[in-house]
Amino acid sequence: MARFQALTNAVLDTELDLLRERFGLEPNQKADLLREMALIAGWVARQAEQGRIIEARRGEVVERLTHPALERLQGASGQPLAEQLTLSDAEARRLAAILDRGFAPPPALCAALANLARSPHLPPQLDWPPAA
Amino acid sequence: MPLHIEPLGRSHRSLLTDFQNPHTALVDYLTRYALRHAEKDLLARTYVAIDSGAGARRLAGYFSLTTVSVERGSVSPLPELNRLPRFPIPGILLARLAVDTRIQRQGLGRYLFEEALGLTLQLARTGPVAFRLLVTDALDAEAARFYEHFGLTSLGEEFPCRMVLDLRPLL
Repeated sequence: MARFQALTNAVLDTELDLLRERFGLEPNQKADLLREMALIAGWVARQAEQGRIIEARRGEVVERLTHPALERLQGASGQPLAEQLTLSDAEARRLAAILDRGFAPPPALCAALANLARSPHLPPQLDWPPAA
Repeated sequence: MPLHIEPLGRSHRSLLTDFQNPHTALVDYLTRYALRHAEKDLLARTYVAIDSGAGARRLAGYFSLTTVSVERGSVSPLPELNRLPRFPIPGILLARLAVDTRIQRQGLGRYLFEEALGLTLQLARTGPVAFRLLVTDALDAEAARFYEHFGLTSLGEEFPCRMVLDLRPLL
């Protein structure tokens, strides 16, 4: 484990040095490098949080940015919103059966519709526990 | 009226942090994403139940609505599905519904569901668009029982469990 960590740290250091050179920074500007990287990573994370796809385009060539951390962010942002639900065959069969059956509303649905028809729609009286 | 439903707006910001629910995803969504999704990204609209009964305003619960379209993953021909409308089927997704832990089992969940159903039916009856389904994802067995009570049917068997209500008979 320690050997693996040492190797990883060495690889990371090399990669950071290469990045620093690409960014045009001097060896004594590691803090500036981290600041730049945090800015860029923050922007990427914000796009992923909003469910956006990040792509690099050049002419017809399009490369999509994928990373497990971005997938976690997209998952946390509540992606089920405003999306397509893709059904398996078993789910599609169930949906077909639901759409095909006659109307037999359960009592709670009838009560809900009756409550909605009443004007105003009366809310419950809430009893909050005393603050601790 | 001490309890009323309002679309979530910036004026509710100070009330968000007091909301309590055992599902951290439901709290996170309300405190971190709901306002942005409603005002900036236009992904979903959240409605909050504001209780002014005990003097101070408190956020007692919320629900979020957005659009959804349902389609088959497989294109293999299944004769028993011939009667199914051509996919995708449009619907309204009740994306989230949550009640503050401190006031659970007092009828607010039912009231929020009724409000969500009412808004959905109002849009379906008088809005400029047509859609067929009310869809939701039950987080656990208790939530699934709650929605089953109102006639929603599970499509899958694992949780989160996708559940649907055919709106056509209600229109």
